[in-house]
Amino acid sequence: MKELLIVEDDLEMQEFYKDMLQGEQFTVTLASNGEEGIKKIKEKKYDIVILDILMEGMTGDRLFALLRRDSQYKEVPVIMASALDEKTYQCFQALGNVSFLEKPFNKEKLLDEITKRLEGNK
Amino acid sequence: MFINKKEIILNINKIIFSSLDIREVYQTMSKELSKVIDFDRLSVTLITENNDLYENFVLSKDYEYTALKEGVLYPMEGSMMKRVIQFRQPVVVEDTSKGRFFTDTVLYKEGIQSRLGFPLEYKDRVIGSVNFGSKRKDYYTKKHIDFFAQIASQLAMSIENTRLFNRIKEAEEKYRTVIESSPDIIFECAKDGKFLLMSPSVEKMTGCPVNQFYDNRGYGLSLCHADDRERVQHEIFQILNGKNSNLMDMEFRITHKQGQVIWLSLEIIPIKECDEIVGIEGFCRDITERKKLDELKDGLIRDVTHELKTPVAKIEMAIDMFERSITTGNINTLGKGSQIHEILRNNINRLKNTVKNILDISKLESGMEPLKLHDISLIELITQIVSELGNTANTKNLTLTSHLSANLPIIKADRYKIYHLITHLIDNAIKFTEQGKIDIIASVLPDAVQVTIEDTGRGLDEKTKERVFEKFYKETPSTFGAGIGLAICKNIVQLHKGKIWVESEGKGKGSRFKFTLPMTADNK
Repeated sequence: MKELLIVEDDLEMQEFYKDMLQGEQFTVTLASNGEEGIKKIKEKKYDIVILDILMEGMTGDRLFALLRRDSQYKEVPVIMASALDEKTYQCFQALGNVSFLEKPFNKEKLLDEITKRLEGNK
Repeated sequence: MFINKKEIILNINKIIFSSLDIREVYQTMSKELSKVIDFDRLSVTLITENNDLYENFVLSKDYEYTALKEGVLYPMEGSMMKRVIQFRQPVVVEDTSKGRFFTDTVLYKEGIQSRLGFPLEYKDRVIGSVNFGSKRKDYYTKKHIDFFAQIASQLAMSIENTRLFNRIKEAEEKYRTVIESSPDIIFECAKDGKFLLMSPSVEKMTGCPVNQFYDNRGYGLSLCHADDRERVQHEIFQILNGKNSNLMDMEFRITHKQGQVIWLSLEIIPIKECDEIVGIEGFCRDITERKKLDELKDGLIRDVTHELKTPVAKIEMAIDMFERSITTGNINTLGKGSQIHEILRNNINRLKNTVKNILDISKLESGMEPLKLHDISLIELITQIVSELGNTANTKNLTLTSHLSANLPIIKADRYKIYHLITHLIDNAIKFTEQGKIDIIASVLPDAVQVTIEDTGRGLDEKTKERVFEKFYKETPSTFGAGIGLAICKNIVQLHKGKIWVESEGKGKGSRFKFTLPMTADNK
């Protein structure tokens, strides 16, 4: 089972993730804000991290930048999810191993993105 | 005597060309000239460009009368000057008391009895005349004319040089004033990176003294923000290598000596000498303020977009969830149905609220909706709102209490809008308070009523306090709401000619939103 961490502060969004990933081949861990996300990442090795961008406190893009600066987490595949346009976050592409998932998305799109990211890391 | 005259001519010519400004050596020259041509008054007059005036360019200093003053313009009409120009010949006035020119009358009064005017020609054009005046009648003869003819052309050339020199000096002066007083940077830089010119304003803009630029090659580039340096350097080389032939225009950042980032716009063009590019000249302007506004605007658009897109996205995802749960048959288990229902209702409300707020503020700002003023009782209104919101406060275990001064007057106000204002402020207090209480205090000031909504909530830092009433401002972008509510509140209070502000000792220390509504004469 692949380890999946979702950092998302919107409780309803968390429900969508849970619903979509239920019964799939992943162990899903949820974090409700950036700080909690960091804590979880340090506790366990994750195969993929999904980050909401606009969160109270530490935002997803800041968390992502922190990860890429730390040699230990430099390679963790990341998916950034947001209702914002993809082009707003193109600058993060340069930091590597990241893709963008625009909200709304459905189950197929989410699974597809996760698979692509996991394969990209092989 | 003849040899002596030749020597004098040589000497005069030497004097004439010893200075770029003839006026500096004029007295020496006239002293030398007086050795061969006797005069009591010597002047040089020059024609202005449109030919209708002439300037008394320079006058011998030992002449005591000053009716025709140095540096002053006189009309050409009726002057000896006009005749000299017309005939391109020396003009002699034997007796000024009988003279035809208006200048004769003036000079006669000063004791000048006879005159000689000699044309000054430069490149086939008369530019002015040299004028001798003598206190003796009928003094000037052909002898004088012949002698002066040997000097006139040199003098004319020298005067033309002086004029040219002055024009350059003036132009240079103007150029320097422009450069020195301009808040923008004007510079010239040689191909090797050495600055040939740099306006002093660079010091204010960058915090680095102007001589640093002169002393260090490529100094400007070293100030560039690390992320922009390569791009700026590349563009400049394109110009220097002739690959980008004309004007180049770009925006980039520099780091001020004191650390802050400054946005500059830069326009540069190549400096060419004999078709070869030897450097660049450029113009640089501080556009930090404009950039800040742009960023603010982009931020606003982003926040509003987010606020509209998020509920729509979630509604779409809830519908997707609904469809899947039908397929899997989960709809009737695990409370899935009511969960989806709740998500849908929440987000429709959120969307409705955002749209309503945007419409409200647009209406308020456009002034399309005038105030409907009625007599209202704040006691009655606040009591009603507190009872309406009591339940919401209770669900968060917050105490909501009003403290209303008994002598609160009936005021003239728009009831619906004041209701909205107070409701929103209390709503906000409930939203941002996790535990404790919310107090609504209404009191009477000398000329206004003041309402305070005080909470024990999360409080505001200095920066947020300043901006909290701005349209679309949100302390954290993910907070529920479009960030319009307080902007609407401010608008309502201002329409009533009141004031609204917030007090807070800082983060976690609660906040007090206060507004006043003035009491007009009939309110009292």
